[in-house]
Formats: sequence, C-alpha cells, structure tokens
Amino acid sequence: MTDQAFVTLTTNDAYAKGTLVLGSSLKQHWTTRRLVMLDTLQVSDSMRSVLETVFDEVIMVDVFDSGNFAHLTLMKRPELGVMLAKLHYTLVLANTDDLFEREELSAAPDPGWPDCFNSVVIYQPSVETYNQLLSLASEQGSFYGGDQGILNTFFSSWVTADIRKHLPFIYNLSWISIYLYFPAFKVFGASAKVVCFLGRNIFTISILPLLQQYGLVKYTCSYVNVENVSGAISHLSIGEIPAVGQPVHSEDWKEWWEQGQADYVEADSFDNLKRKLDTYLQ
Amino acid sequence: MLRGRSLSVTSLSGLPQWQVEELPVEELLLFEVAWEVTNKVGGIYTVIQTKAKTTADEWGDNYFLIGPYFEHNMKTQVEQCEPVNDAVRRAVDAMNKHGCQVHFGRWLIEGSPYVVLFDIGYSAWNLDRWKGDLWEACSVGIPYHDREANDMLIFGSLTAWFLKEVTDHVDGKHVIAQFHEWQAGIGLILSRARKLPIATIFTTHATLLGRYLCAANIDFYNHLDKFNIDKEAGERQIYHRYCMERASVHCAHVFTTVSEITAIEAEHMLKRKPDVVTPNGLNVKKFSAVHEFQNLHAMYKARIQDFVRGHFYGHLDFDLEKTLFLFIAGRYEFSNKGADIFLESLSRLNFLLRMHKSEVTVVVFFIMPAKTNNFNVETLKGQAVRKQLWDIAHSVKEKFGKKLYDALLRGEIPDMYNILDRDDITIMKRAIFSTQRQSLPPVTTHNMIDDSTDPILSTIRRIGLFNNRTDRVKVILHPEFLSSTSPLLPMDYEEFVRGCHLGVFPSYYEPWGYTPAECTVMGIPSVTTNLSGFGCFMQEHVADPTAYGIYIVDRRFRSPDDSCNQLTQFLYGFCKQSRRQRIIQRNRTERLSDLLDWRYLGRYYQHARHLTLSRAFPDKFHVELTSPPTTEGFKYPRPSSVPPSPSGSQASSPQSSDVEDEVEDERYDEEEEAERDRLNIKSPFSLSRVPHGKKKLHGEYKN
Repeated sequence: MTDQAFVTLTTNDAYAKGTLVLGSSLKQHWTTRRLVMLDTLQVSDSMRSVLETVFDEVIMVDVFDSGNFAHLTLMKRPELGVMLAKLHYTLVLANTDDLFEREELSAAPDPGWPDCFNSVVIYQPSVETYNQLLSLASEQGSFYGGDQGILNTFFSSWVTADIRKHLPFIYNLSWISIYLYFPAFKVFGASAKVVCFLGRNIFTISILPLLQQYGLVKYTCSYVNVENVSGAISHLSIGEIPAVGQPVHSEDWKEWWEQGQADYVEADSFDNLKRKLDTYLQ
Repeated sequence: MLRGRSLSVTSLSGLPQWQVEELPVEELLLFEVAWEVTNKVGGIYTVIQTKAKTTADEWGDNYFLIGPYFEHNMKTQVEQCEPVNDAVRRAVDAMNKHGCQVHFGRWLIEGSPYVVLFDIGYSAWNLDRWKGDLWEACSVGIPYHDREANDMLIFGSLTAWFLKEVTDHVDGKHVIAQFHEWQAGIGLILSRARKLPIATIFTTHATLLGRYLCAANIDFYNHLDKFNIDKEAGERQIYHRYCMERASVHCAHVFTTVSEITAIEAEHMLKRKPDVVTPNGLNVKKFSAVHEFQNLHAMYKARIQDFVRGHFYGHLDFDLEKTLFLFIAGRYEFSNKGADIFLESLSRLNFLLRMHKSEVTVVVFFIMPAKTNNFNVETLKGQAVRKQLWDIAHSVKEKFGKKLYDALLRGEIPDMYNILDRDDITIMKRAIFSTQRQSLPPVTTHNMIDDSTDPILSTIRRIGLFNNRTDRVKVILHPEFLSSTSPLLPMDYEEFVRGCHLGVFPSYYEPWGYTPAECTVMGIPSVTTNLSGFGCFMQEHVADPTAYGIYIVDRRFRSPDDSCNQLTQFLYGFCKQSRRQRIIQRNRTERLSDLLDWRYLGRYYQHARHLTLSRAFPDKFHVELTSPPTTEGFKYPRPSSVPPSPSGSQASSPQSSDVEDEVEDERYDEEEEAERDRLNIKSPFSLSRVPHGKKKLHGEYKN
C-alpha cells in the first residue's frame, strides 16, 4: 500500500534512537504500510544511515524558527496519503495496520489528560489544514509541547464528537498506567498494541546492535533481540543487563530523573554515581 | 521534680569511667543539621530535643542546630536573638543580603541551644540552579512530583551555603557538622563536593529500604546480602531518595547509626559499615522520693481499673486485684511492630492460663491509631453504667451513713435488716438490672472504618478472643492516641504506661525503640526483641535482662513459631509472679534508667565527633584506637535475690502476697544489691580503676 504510511519525526540523534525502536517494532509485526521518517538538519549523517536501514523513506524537512512546530510539516505532504503521525517514543507490540481503517482525525487520549490526544494520531495531509494550523499557531501559540497543543486546539471537537475517533488505550499504553492500575493490565494487557515509554532501558536493548554497527556507540556488551523485548514487556520484566561503560551525563539526562525515569538498572546505578563522588573525596 | 538520689540506690555510680578525651570545644564549632530541628515529624525530633542539654552543657555557645523555618514553630519554640559568634553572624547576614531569610535564636528547651532556621519557601526561586548544582555534584536528579525531596534540596543547598560562609570566616577554628538522615544529607554532599574544611558525620536512624522491605513481608534479615538494592529502590519509585541517602553515607567522614541491628541493616542497605553506634537516649527525670514511681503505678493502675469496670460491666466475674494490664503502642504497622506475633501468643497464653485454671486475668490494650468513626456506643455505655452504679452506691451509702450515725447517737446498734428501706433495695435492684448485658464486652473502643480488612480485628476474629467470661486473656483495641480529656479513658500516654504492668513490643523492625525505653525509665517492665535496637542494646549491657524486667524475644535466629512460643513463655512466667516479685522487678527495671540517659549515651556522640576530627584533620587530632566504645558497655550481673529460673511460682516470702501493701519493705536488701552491682561492673576503658571485693568470673555474666 503506497498511499499509506506510518510517519514519525526526529529532530536530533537522541530522539532518533527512540524512533528506531518504533521502526524496528513495526517491521517486526509485518506492517504492510510504508515507514517514513522525517528528520532535520540536526540529525547526524551516521544516524541517518542507520535510519535508512529501518525506514523506507527518510525525508529531510525544514523546522521553523520556533523549533516547536516541526510536526506540522507533516501536513504539507499530501502525496503520502493517510498516515500515522508522531509516534514519539513508542513501541509497537502487535500489527497495527488496522489503524488505517479509521478516519481523520482519530487519536489516542493522553493518559495524563484524556480530553487531549497525543502520541498516536491518524490524519490526512492537506495543505489547507496545514495553513489553518499555521495561522492558529501564530495567533494563539501552543498551550503545550509545540504541535500537541496546537493540534488539540484545532481539532477541539475530537473530545466530544465521535467515540470511534478515540483510539482505545491499548494503542497508547503508558508505563505509569501499568503501575497505577495493574489489575486492568492483567486482564487487558495481552491485547496491548502500542506502548509508550520514556526510559532508555528498552531502546538500549533493541537498537543497540544497530547503533554499534554504525559506530554510534562504543559499548561492548551483549544485547537482547527485539522479539524478546516485546515479549518481555508483556511480562513486565526486562531482565538483567550487564553494566555498560561510563555513560555521559548530559543535561538531557537530568530530565530523565526529573520525570521519575532514572535508569537505575545500568546507566544511573549507584556504583556509577559513586565513581563521580570519589573524584572529590580524598 | 528534682533530682536527688542516694548513691546507694544507683548501680550506675559504678559507670565505667570511660575516658573519652575532652575536646577543646573553645577552638571548635559544632553544627547539627536535621529537618526535625524545632519541627516535629517523627522520632528524630525527640532525639535531638532530649540530647540538646547534654550537648549544650559540653559545647556552650559553640553549638548550633540547623533546621527549617516554620512560622508556627518559631513563634512557639524559639526566642529570636542575634548571633554572638562572629563567623555565624557574618554567615547569617551574608545569606540574608543575598535573598534568603535566615532566622536565628535560642530553642526554648532544656539546654537552650542556638538554632539557625532557613525559610525554605522563601528561597525556592533558586531551585533550578540548585538542581543543576546537585546534578553536577553527584548526578542525581529529583523528580518534579516529589515535593518533599525538592524541599530537602533547598534545605541542603542553604546549609552548604551557610557552612561555606562560616568556614570562610571562622578564623582558625575547626568545624564539625553532623547530619541526621537523608533529609539533611544534601547539605553534606554539597559540602564535600565543594571541599569545605568540615569534619562531617552522617547519622541514620533507619534505612529507607529497610522499612519498606520489612513491611512487604519479606524474610528480611535472612536475605540481607541478597537484595539488589538499586533495583528495589527503583521499583518503589524512591531511587532518587535512596541515592541521596547512599551518597551522604559515602561522603561522610564518619557514619553512625542508632543500634547494632541497624548497623547490620546499613551494612547491606547502604553498603557501608557504621563507624560508631550512637544509641538514642532520654532525659531521665528522677523524683526526689526514690520509690515515687511505685506510688504512681498504684495510682494510675486504679484509674485503668475504673475503665475496666465500665468496659466489662455485666461480665465482671474476675478479681481486679488479680488482673494484669499489658499493652502495646505505636504506629499501626501490623507486622513491623509485631502485633501479629503478639496476638498469636495471646491466644496461646489464654490456653495456658485456662488449662492451669489460673485465677489471673490479663487485659491487653492495643494503642495503635487507625481510621475511626468515633467511639462505639457500647464502650461509652459501659463507662456511663459504671458511673451510674458508683453514684447509686454513693447515694445509698450517704443515706445509710446518716441512719447509722443517728442510731449511734441514740445509743443503738441499727437493725441491719431495716437500715436499707424498700426504696433503696429497689434502686439497687434496678441498677443491677441495668448491668445485664447479653453481648460480650467489645474488643474495640471505636467504630473502625474498614473493620473487615483491619489486620488486628481480623486476627482477633481468627483466634477467637472475644472477651468471653471463660477467656483469661481479654483484648481491647483502642485505635486512637490517648488523651487526658477522653470521655472513655481520661489518661495521657505517660500516665497510662505507669498504670500498666507490662509493655509488649515484639517488633520485627525497630531501629531503636523509644517505646520500650520510655517504659523502662518509668520502671515498667517490657518485652522487646533482638531485632529491636533497644533489645540489642539491653542484651549487650545487662547480663540477665529478664530479672531486670527486660524480656528479649529471639526473632532473629528462630522460626516465627518458636519466637511465638518464647513470647508466650515470657508472658506466662510474668503472669505467675506474685505481687511482691513484681514490685521487686519494677525496682530493678527502674534502676536501668540511668543507662538510657543522655548523660551516659551522649558519650557515643562525643566519640563520633572525636573520630571525625581525626579523619578530617589528621594533623591536628587523633583518637586512640583502643577507646572505641563499640558495645562494650558494662554488664549488670544477675541480682542475687532472683530465683534461678522464671518458672518458680513460689513466693519469695512464705506468706501469701495476695493482700500485701505496696509499701511494705521488700525482702531484698537494696544496699546490699547496689553494692554488689557496683563491685561487679566491668570497666573496659579506664584500666586504672581496679574493682575491689569479690569479682565474678566472666563466664558467670552470661545466662
């Protein structure tokens, strides 16, 4: 099917890792649609090569000065037909081609504020819609997260108009919900199709080999296949991963902690932190 | 009440002259940092507040406590004043000039130590920058949603800033800073990261993971070395707090904790063996009358008896003079506090007492706050009925008394059959009728919310202790704090404890244990375990703790069933004691109170301070390696008048002690016993002190 595609976007190498997980998982579950990646200038060439092995098309797009409305550029590509957008840090656990049977604008409710949608969105690109979105952006700005705020404001009827345009929770399962409502997960979890993750554990496991191959990481450790990853998630345990070398703790890294997603399994294990402390203790 | 005790009564005049070298406090500054300075949240407030006098006595104006500012606390507990110390004053001024609010004053408690209090909210605008500082220092970030931890970050950043200002202007003096618990830990981490010239001590009163893991019904102590602690913390969403705790432990020059058992816990949960064990003490107040505490016991016991009369109306077929009051109190942590094993052993005790047709009745109080919906009607009715009977008896007595008086005045012996007229008889019959009760005395005093899921009530139902007449063990769950204004049991906690016979605290997880310590100080025997800090401490310091009223249940090396049986045996043995034996036992228990006084236990803190100075400034300070006071305290030998085994139910005097008065002079000779204790005290620290008199062989100390 060439007029339908799963599309995602990355604006730098760090995000690209997450999209690789998504892409691998879609292929893993035998999607018959195309996989399209929109990337920007900030993505390195080596990363782009990796992306090209996973995605059918990698298309360079312009990002606005504000940097926030990159995803709107998806709207400018009508030749791609109906597509899925912005699967940000998601992993697909089963074949999701059935999403294309839904109409625009179908989307998955945000677990934190279900009257808004995020992550998984199905729509039809159109230049007209795109221009309307742009003018809305310049008038009102976005109440949150760049395009997510804009899109929600624009498609404000989504919340009440048609329940068929509300994707079931299994298309946007979040880790937090599994913790908070475990009994439901026990009953319905097996039918989960898409899971949203923020931690680095998972992409480390699934796309590490790819990154290694292209010299983007220098870790030398064993890894687990993507198949095992999907299975592991449904059993809520990833298993032991051998310690990796000294990770680089950039500012971005602090974000993980602040969202309650410290990688206590490896990168942020206390032994690593201890090494830092020892540098100034005599 | 004044202190003034004759030396003959205290064995602790023979306290080991533990020669901790005096520190040159005039050339030092001591800061003690804790979230609970002037701010009561839990037990650490009690530790700091009670210890203040001893420390202030030693350090004078060179001692400062650092804590968070809260307006209410400031108004009610602190007297504002200006700092006299130059370095401290400059530090306070510098910070206030740069957009902080730092308050200084004297804490209005015994010792009146200086306090430095930071207004956390006022400085919150720095949070982002300080988050970056913490990240740079130790690569730990704090989740947005954890408000408490973010507050601690502000607190720690202000502390580190303050200490920097102080050390910049301290002019030759050396600085010691002691930090309590992970809440104060960031101050330590940042101070070390910035290489401030401070000797640091980190004290933990419990480990974050320890409490969680124990409460999760894990066989904690037998798997201590097997936990993947990073993972356990991560899975419980407390990874950042755990990292703060561990980083503090790692960075401190000296690491201390409150008991041997917590030291073992810390070794595995925090991966560092504590350098010093610093037990928690109390401010022991002695009465000028030596046995005043026995009188108070009698007085408050009478009040509890009144309550029992009301609660058990209609089923009062037991003799209150032969009734023992046991209690357990504390936070409602069913397994950590050992309420589970206690209930099970009560069931077995009941069986034993019934089987032996004992005349003793045991009433057990569970004082553990839970969610309630006010008092239940039955218990209130019980007290009302009792009061009504008392009033009726009183008014009949008045009439009777008058008639008797008149008769005597007339020169007649009144006719016993006519002295009470028909009306009186009717009133009394009606009163008795009102005490008829079909239902059994309730096992709880309040209406509990979720009573079907309540662990204590569920267990009571399972073991079938419903306050039946045939049960010799009665149970009362009082799921609220005691209050002297309660319509049900108008006593505050201290009075209630004094009125009871035995406190039972068979804890599975108890880093120190102020509850049994308080009992001991009031002369009330208690049951504890070798998993409790207090229990470990007593085991080390007292050769025969049972004779001194400290019953230590082994929960560490025995199966739960065996531990339960041991507890049952202790309780049964206690029940079989005569009144005289109980009195003697209470005297002994009360003598242990000096052991729990900060005047003794403060020396461990002194040692920790000495140790940290020797590590931070090795050129200036050293500490003798022979003086660490690990657990070699001194041992109370077995008092000579105690029978060799607790099973002896024979009275120590030939006649029955049923109606003995409390104040009859005891069989054992106080002077003699005290002398013996003094002679037999080992003194590990001062080699010059040679005890005279006969010396017990080492082997005789152990039982």
